[in-house]
Amino acid sequence: MTDGPLIVQSDKTLLLDIDHVLSTECRRAIAPFAELERSPEHIHTYRLTSLGLWNARAAGHDAEMVIDTLLKYSRYAVPHSILVDVAEIMSRYGRLRLEADPIHGLVLITTDTAVLEEVIRAKKIAPLLGIRIDAETIAVHPSQRGHIKQSLLRLGWPAEDFAGYVDGQHHEIDLVQNGWKIRPYQELAAEGFWHGGSGVVVLPCGAGKTIVGAAAMAHAKATTLILVTNTIAARQWREELLQRTTLNEDEIGEYSGAKKEIRPVTIATYQVMTKKKNGTYAHLDLFDTHDWGLIIYDEVHLLPAPIFRFTADIQSRRRLGLTATLVREDGLEGEVFSLIGPKRFDVPWKEIEAQGYIAPAECIEVRVTLTEAERLLYATAEPENRYRQCATTKTKRAIVELLTKHHKDDQVLVIGQYIDQLDELSEVLGVPLIKGDTPVNERERLFNLFRAGEVKCLVVSKVANFSIDLPDATVAIQVSGAFGSRQEEAQRLGRILRPKSDGRTARFYSVVSRDTIDQDFAQNRQRFLAEQGYSYKIIDADDVSQGKL
Amino acid sequence: METRSFADYLRALDDEALLNLFALRPDLVSPVPPEISSLGIRASSAPSLARAVDSLNKWQFQILEACASLTEPFAEKSIIALTDTSAKFVIPRLVDLALIYGDSHGYWLPNSLREVLGNEVAGLGPSSMAKLSMSKLDEAPESSKKVLERLTWGPPRGSVGDIRNPGPGIAWLLKENFLIPLDQRTVVLPREVALHLRGGKVHKNPQPNPPLVKGTAGKETTVNRAAIANVATVLRWSEEILNFWSEEAPSSLRAGGVGVRDLKAAAEHLGVDENCAAFIAELVFLAGLVVIDADDRILPTHSFDLWLTQDHETRWRTLASLWLITSRVSGLVGRADSKHISALGPELDRVNAASARKLALQILAENPYLSPEHDSFLAVTKWRAPSRRSSTLQRELVQWTLREAEWLGITGQGGLSRYGAAFLHEEDVLGIAEDLPKPVDHILLQSDNTAIAPGPLEIEVARVLDSIADIESRGGATVYRFSEATIRRGLDHGKTGEEIKEFLRKTSKTPMPQPLEYLIADVAKRHGRLRVGNTTAYIRCEDPSILTQILSDRKVEGLGLRRIAPEVLVCDHEANELITTLREAGYMPAAESGSGILLSGLKLNRAKSRPRPPRIIGEIETPTQETLLAAVRAIRTGERSSHKQTSLRDVAAKALGSVPRTTANETLEILNTFIKEQRTLSIGYADNNGSATHRIIDPLSISAGSLLARDHATGKVQSFRIPRITGVSPL
Repeated sequence: MTDGPLIVQSDKTLLLDIDHVLSTECRRAIAPFAELERSPEHIHTYRLTSLGLWNARAAGHDAEMVIDTLLKYSRYAVPHSILVDVAEIMSRYGRLRLEADPIHGLVLITTDTAVLEEVIRAKKIAPLLGIRIDAETIAVHPSQRGHIKQSLLRLGWPAEDFAGYVDGQHHEIDLVQNGWKIRPYQELAAEGFWHGGSGVVVLPCGAGKTIVGAAAMAHAKATTLILVTNTIAARQWREELLQRTTLNEDEIGEYSGAKKEIRPVTIATYQVMTKKKNGTYAHLDLFDTHDWGLIIYDEVHLLPAPIFRFTADIQSRRRLGLTATLVREDGLEGEVFSLIGPKRFDVPWKEIEAQGYIAPAECIEVRVTLTEAERLLYATAEPENRYRQCATTKTKRAIVELLTKHHKDDQVLVIGQYIDQLDELSEVLGVPLIKGDTPVNERERLFNLFRAGEVKCLVVSKVANFSIDLPDATVAIQVSGAFGSRQEEAQRLGRILRPKSDGRTARFYSVVSRDTIDQDFAQNRQRFLAEQGYSYKIIDADDVSQGKL
Repeated sequence: METRSFADYLRALDDEALLNLFALRPDLVSPVPPEISSLGIRASSAPSLARAVDSLNKWQFQILEACASLTEPFAEKSIIALTDTSAKFVIPRLVDLALIYGDSHGYWLPNSLREVLGNEVAGLGPSSMAKLSMSKLDEAPESSKKVLERLTWGPPRGSVGDIRNPGPGIAWLLKENFLIPLDQRTVVLPREVALHLRGGKVHKNPQPNPPLVKGTAGKETTVNRAAIANVATVLRWSEEILNFWSEEAPSSLRAGGVGVRDLKAAAEHLGVDENCAAFIAELVFLAGLVVIDADDRILPTHSFDLWLTQDHETRWRTLASLWLITSRVSGLVGRADSKHISALGPELDRVNAASARKLALQILAENPYLSPEHDSFLAVTKWRAPSRRSSTLQRELVQWTLREAEWLGITGQGGLSRYGAAFLHEEDVLGIAEDLPKPVDHILLQSDNTAIAPGPLEIEVARVLDSIADIESRGGATVYRFSEATIRRGLDHGKTGEEIKEFLRKTSKTPMPQPLEYLIADVAKRHGRLRVGNTTAYIRCEDPSILTQILSDRKVEGLGLRRIAPEVLVCDHEANELITTLREAGYMPAAESGSGILLSGLKLNRAKSRPRPPRIIGEIETPTQETLLAAVRAIRTGERSSHKQTSLRDVAAKALGSVPRTTANETLEILNTFIKEQRTLSIGYADNNGSATHRIIDPLSISAGSLLARDHATGKVQSFRIPRITGVSPL
């Protein structure tokens, strides 16, 4: 028995003891084939999945290396069945290959005819195939490249894709590192993506995903389509690209509800892409207007369904997905991986925090006790209104007031779900409110004021959940949310994670009504962050009022 | 020609030879036969001979086949001629086993041996009655040679369209007596011709040496490490399947055994395939850790609780030692061709399972740390035990043994481990205890509401954790997750929030995260409204003053009453006793049914029945030296007394001149001898009315309790039931 940092469980999870001297070394060794699942304070959980092992194969690691690594770092004897499984799963990779063929376009080739016979008989695969060329080869409709890869993956016979990517129309793009430098992990992420071909990069909010996108563009040096969540995000991408790359204003176009510019680098919103006109998606042509060399999906966890389908049809182009939290409440994480590509880079939030690239944050759950009258109201509310009832109680308002008063010198965001609650808060606190129907210009004006420090506090609705860049927000107060959405909680924390000039700790308050469903949802919401190692502190509203913060 | 009977041969053996025989064929002394003649009968009976033949390896078997192809008596020389000079080393072994026996004329076979070996030993036909001139074979026409080629190595029979109108090749052979017609359509190649064509040898491929076990040699440390992981795993599986069944006991099938769906559920719970789940189920069943109780529920027994308190090595040994000798074959469960066979069911016994398992393990043991290739391993087992009965299963049995040995950790990555070797050599200490990861007594609490036990937990700690958290991942370590539901469960089991917190604080090496503390406090706050405790009986009364009166009443002081609410008193005495005492003290209590009382304490579902592990139908174990000595003594004594009886009876018979009388054993022995010598004898035979008649017969054969013989009076072949034969005497 060695005294390694890794415990290999029989359910294929790997537990990494991060207090162990070899933990960093071990983490690097297992990262290529194991997927990080949770990274709380002491023990990180990784998982061996077929997908992860196949990705490792694709990246040139073999089963022997995986097994050696497991044996080397394992604290206890590794269950035999795991070793057998690893070898078995990895041997499945590469028996089928997708290759470009001068005559037939795209072909599926096998080294094991039995496997080919098995897969061509599968119901899901048969319609995607063309003529049988010989015993080992069969033609595939080029437009089905994505579909067939996805279906083969489900059958457990992943195809190694040798068909390559379209280079796209060349366009010179380079990073301009004047006064700033690309961070090591950003570079690693961009490189990981580039060598993998397509895939998803997972980085914490505020860790500079835009730079990873820019770096990827610099690798591709080709026309690029960037898909973002909304117009504000689009403008921020534009600003960032202008600042960080050799691109000039004429080279970057915005394709949104307001403008329809198509330039070598075009930034489009999901919203416009999914807009239907007379029952058809009117703007999907955008994908075809240019010979794109790279497609970037920002906040890929929000990728809407029609774009999913479309992505399957453009498998020959390089695709980069960016996100902080690949937890989809609709459980479609798998879909994202199979359409855009596997996870190419992931790193525990706390590690980047330790490197100083994101601000340390303190998460505090403030529990308010409902008044008798509110409790009665809550108890008698219809089940569908219960959450709203307890999330928007008047009692919360007083606490928010206290908290903003406490942080009167900080940049504070008050974030909530329900507009009437926010309206009220905005009025009581005497600060501006930004919500869905706030015009873009007004929004930008307010953001600029906030950035300049002229406005100390903003009340924002869920429009602020994503991709808004508020460099100096140091405190966020969450008063209500979309039920138990883990992803939303993480995104909101992300609003305050950009490093502060004075290295200050950011504070994230979540105001929760005690003994109600609000509290249960809060627990679920906190799960993702807790798994990233953010330990919530729970305090009582009375402590706040007594100034104990 | 005067020959000695088999019994006479045995009678002449010295004690040492008898002991040796008994050691080699333990079935001969279970039970101990009364005297030598019954020993002779048993030793020459088909079942016993079949057992003895089973114990031969390929080469010994080939030699025995060669013996059987000779006419008795035969000489060692002829055996060697038919086989190989190395046969001379094998012959003594066959003699030791009493599969052949010798006298001054040469070697003989016990009566039923040919029957056991089958009609056409080594593919050889019957002897020819005609005079054959082998030199003529060279002149055989081409077509005849082709026929001969086909029949030479057996089977010796061939079918022809019509014997009266055969093809030219067959006609020539028939004419020269090189083929014998059997019936209208069948011809057979006589033994002499076949042996001549085989070049004077019986076997095409004599195999005097065992094939080598091929495979990959594992590194000692790797094998041992893998094995200890397997040991840890099998112990965990056993514990988990029982805990799983304890929570929700499956019902057994009407025919007995675990249903397919329940087995699947268990397999899923353990994260193994169904074959493995069936194996684990059988393993714990054998050890009596689980039982099908009277209500047809499959439940862990109290032995399970005891088993859990033992150290890991003892636990493992309990499981493995029963697996070693059981006749039950868990591999049969869930095969496509045997859907009705279920784990824990009644149909898993297979006669040769234990011996096949033993053989496979023996071969493993001879090749430590070698992970054998299946085919070569099978070839070796085939050589070691060529003539196993029901050999169809043999292949699977061997494969299953290897698979199960791996699951058990006797092997690691296919090679025999240190622990396996120690276990097979029945050593006192297997080394499992030292090499298994030491149990840990602490956990690591994390702020995502999980706790991780970085190693196998001590049983007490694990029990408590099981009650307050769900297990999320199992293996070398265990990951527990706390949630409102699990904390409530802990509180339901009678713990208070404070106790849980205290336990976690004490057990955790890391500080308790605040959210968890709040979670526990929150649940406990809501839960705490109800107070739960153990009590045997209670007194409730709507008038608190009466209760106060009782409390201060000296007459009921002995009851140890306690007030838990203004209107409720409790005590630890039985309700009946309480009522009696209260009545004696002048109160007028009424009994209340016990329903509605929330009893606390961990609920462990256990069967009421005692463990009833399945019966083991295995091979007969090799008896100890003492037993064998005792057996020899007993037989010798029996022999002396039966001699006396015989001579006394002979005197009496001569005087009376009546029908022959012999004991049953003597009868069989004499009959066997006379069948062999084909001599006429007289018997006494009881008719339907019970009166004995005197018959003169030529005995032909004995089978199924009847003697087939030609009756001189009628001239017909008739069957005589042996129990009705009152006695036999030669004429």
